[in-house]
Amino acid sequence: MSEQQSEHKAAPVMVNLTIDGKPVTVAKGTNLIEAAKSIGVTIPHYCYHPHLSVPGNCRMCQVEVKGQAKMNIGCNTAVAEGMEVLTQETSQKSRDAQSSTLEFILINHPLDCTVCDQAGHCKLQDYHYDYNAKPSRFLEEKEHKVKALPLGPTVMLDGERCIMCTRCIRFCDEVTGTSELGMLNRGDRSVIAVNEGHELNNALSGTVVDLCPVGALTHREWRFNTRIWFTKETDSICPGCSTGCNVKVAVRDRQVVQVKARLNSQVNKEWLCDQGRYGFERFLPGKRLTAPQVRGVDSTFDQAIAIAKTISGGETLVFVAPDLLTEEYIVLKRFLDKCVKQSQVAIAYRERKLSKVEEILISPDYAANFRGAEFSGLVTGDIQAGYEAALERLRSGTITNLILVGDRCLTAEDATPEICAKIKQASLSIAILTDAASSLAASATVVLPERSILEKSGLLINRKQRLQYTDRVVEFPDGTQPAWRLINQLAVACGSRIVSAQSDRDLTLEILASESRLAGLKIATIKQGGVCLDSYKPGDANSRPSSSDARV
Amino acid sequence: MKHRQILLANVDFPDQATIAGYESRGGYKTVRKVLGMDPLAVREEVKKSGLRGRGGAGFPTGRKWDFIPAKCDKPVYLINNADESEPGTFKDRVLLERDPHLCIEGMIIAAWAVQSKWSCIYIRGEYGYPYVRIQRAVEEAYKHGYLGDNIFGSGFAHHMVVHRGAGAYICGEETALLNSLEGKKGQPRLKPPYFPAVRGLYDAPTIVNNTETLAACVWILENGGEAYAKIGTEKSPGTKLFACSGHINKPGVYEVEMGYPVLDFIEDELGGIWKGRKLKGIIPGGSSFPIMRADQLQGVTLDYESLVAAGSGLGSGGFMVMDDTTDMVEAAENVAHFYAHESCGQCTPCREGGHWIEKIFHRVAHGRGLPGDMELARSVANNVEGHTICAFGEALAWPAQAFIKRFPEEFTARIEEARIEEARIEEARIEEARIEEGLVAIGNRNGKENGARPSMHYQLKSNH
Repeated sequence: MSEQQSEHKAAPVMVNLTIDGKPVTVAKGTNLIEAAKSIGVTIPHYCYHPHLSVPGNCRMCQVEVKGQAKMNIGCNTAVAEGMEVLTQETSQKSRDAQSSTLEFILINHPLDCTVCDQAGHCKLQDYHYDYNAKPSRFLEEKEHKVKALPLGPTVMLDGERCIMCTRCIRFCDEVTGTSELGMLNRGDRSVIAVNEGHELNNALSGTVVDLCPVGALTHREWRFNTRIWFTKETDSICPGCSTGCNVKVAVRDRQVVQVKARLNSQVNKEWLCDQGRYGFERFLPGKRLTAPQVRGVDSTFDQAIAIAKTISGGETLVFVAPDLLTEEYIVLKRFLDKCVKQSQVAIAYRERKLSKVEEILISPDYAANFRGAEFSGLVTGDIQAGYEAALERLRSGTITNLILVGDRCLTAEDATPEICAKIKQASLSIAILTDAASSLAASATVVLPERSILEKSGLLINRKQRLQYTDRVVEFPDGTQPAWRLINQLAVACGSRIVSAQSDRDLTLEILASESRLAGLKIATIKQGGVCLDSYKPGDANSRPSSSDARV
Repeated sequence: MKHRQILLANVDFPDQATIAGYESRGGYKTVRKVLGMDPLAVREEVKKSGLRGRGGAGFPTGRKWDFIPAKCDKPVYLINNADESEPGTFKDRVLLERDPHLCIEGMIIAAWAVQSKWSCIYIRGEYGYPYVRIQRAVEEAYKHGYLGDNIFGSGFAHHMVVHRGAGAYICGEETALLNSLEGKKGQPRLKPPYFPAVRGLYDAPTIVNNTETLAACVWILENGGEAYAKIGTEKSPGTKLFACSGHINKPGVYEVEMGYPVLDFIEDELGGIWKGRKLKGIIPGGSSFPIMRADQLQGVTLDYESLVAAGSGLGSGGFMVMDDTTDMVEAAENVAHFYAHESCGQCTPCREGGHWIEKIFHRVAHGRGLPGDMELARSVANNVEGHTICAFGEALAWPAQAFIKRFPEEFTARIEEARIEEARIEEARIEEARIEEGLVAIGNRNGKENGARPSMHYQLKSNH
């Protein structure tokens, strides 16, 4: 599908048609669902997904095309010059076809919404209210199928809720290429099943739950956790690696209770890896730093900053975590330039080997925003070599001043007792951290309580240079400060203010205004699918979001 | 002469299934001539004959062959669709079993016309004996050099495989057949883009023809398309095999010229209705075609147009006759059960609707029908028809619609019986309850003598 689209970009042959009487011009080869989307009309559908093949099996997207006796399915009907399409908005025939399809889908559906995790964000519920909303005429006993079958370590199947859209099967066939799933039996006894000798256990397995339009597939991790309407859902970016997958995170009582992929054709399509999805908790340590510490003892900000500001005197080694906001790297860069005499900066970046399935989506790092650090000018060149060299320098034990920003400023395997001992030996070390239990917190002279990436809003740049906006998904604990504000306070103490912003949002606006390479960008624009910095021309006020994925 | 023998002329000779027997009656003569012709001329001859597909849809065969792209770097495949599974249809079986070389010769002719080097006979899995016969015939043809890398010494290479289905009716649908042949689940493909002549087996151009269609090509190429066109009616030329079953004296496979009057056919060929009973209805084209009442058959003839005009269709020629003792509600349930069972489960209306219709007919047939059930079943069938990926939706909906439309009085009577029975049971139940609760003295069942009055509770219940 995406290949087709890019083909059309190269030689866009445009086709004119009308949908519900409104003129539409789209590229040749576009289907009716996408064409209607472009003018804000939603043709309901279950099995169609823009990044999977078209099976045409749910029959929900049937619409009338003038002059044709039979109904056409929107997903598999290409636009044609002069075509007159009448959707459910204007055609009784379309409405009837869609409502009868829904009636069919629901006759064997268990309607166990009261205990279903999908309730509240279920396409069956939504469409039933939108397009059918009639009591069922079905009087017989429904078909009974398997109610809780683990397909693998992550996903549970409820066969009765399934509407046989086959999105999960197609995902495993076409995207991961692992082909674990298939359909057994015929007719209304059909059921999704794992192929013999397999289990659904690949790096992206949780994605099938996102793709499931109903509650048939659920996360074993989050089953029967909470009703979705008791949660706060936020559009955010996964901080797991530098792919920058678009996610929607549901949070209840500061607990991440569900993570879903969001459609972004330029980044992650609508896929998400299991490591990212089920790994959000690692960004929210159990024991948090909520007050500054000086040599292991709780202290006040004034005292801590007073000690920390002496950093400006000597030669300084700086380790930064690869999952800070781009704004924070910029603030840090300006602080080092202005206030610190001599500094060497390294970012904790080390590439790893990926399996074949992982390569589809995952970047070979745990560094969500290393591009942001590069963008700020904090680090340049071969960053992995720079990191190894800085570690070597730390090991050799000639460091006087040390700044550590972020929990992951050293990779997990590098935060060894040996390194911590070296940190203790430094004459002054400042650590900006969230995790009170970390060995770094115990080693540094001054520890400042930071906020997690999930508690901040701001800009991230992914591996492919796409600037994206991540929104705060969890409320921060009292007593913590974002790293940028801590650095700014330090700078003020050293005699120069770097930014005047008071909130994350203000900071982003201030940076967008002051950074010439980002001139002309607005948060709202960035939020819509992100902006590719490689092709962005600064000051382009007419810059439109490069992604047309209106979520429907 | 309406009873003409083109396809069945030699099926009764015991040695017809061997090459020696087949050739002694002029077999494999036509194909030798054809291999010297221009393939386009072969197609032209078939187009002239007006031969239409005998599998059920009746699409002109010559035109189908022309859909093969003129320039294509992929191989062209030919499939003989012998997955004959429609209830009431068993005509191809006779050819496969009794005259397999006719099928093979027809296939080689078709293969030459579309320049296909590989063909397959996809035979219904349950056809055990026909499979043995056609498989043996193919092996014999290989031995004689009639199949292989250089057939009949012409330099043309053609290989043939016999493949047995696994028992799914839907695999007779051409694209489901191709999926099955590729080793996938037998589910029909979405059209567009999967038109077999353009993107068929392994995405290569593929022609799928019915066994009877291919067999008819032998006579056409032997005697010329024009001669064939003269047989039968103008729009439905040729002869057609009918598999006749049901309440007749002489069931079997019959070959008749198109245009044969239905009533004459029943009386003169099939020996009339058995046991001296009267005709109630027929299904002329296999169970997926609408049933017709006896009084609709006056002047109707056996050809595509006349049967469609009369509200049914020629279909695959599964000619089922029902006498006046037939229970049409149970017949409807029987047909509905088949289509519910055979739905592939791919698309929603057919997957769910087929079973729903079966369940409605089941409850009507078993004395649990409700007022409005006929309207409900009709509405469900209408919602399936025309809304599915393949023509199975119609195959499921048409018989259901026709049974209700043409025999409504039987459904109404069943539903009325059920209502009366229900009322009787309800009354007995109330009586029982009254006795149990002691409102009525045992042995004084109607409760009138001792003046016990039914309470409000019972009145409410009996109003149900």
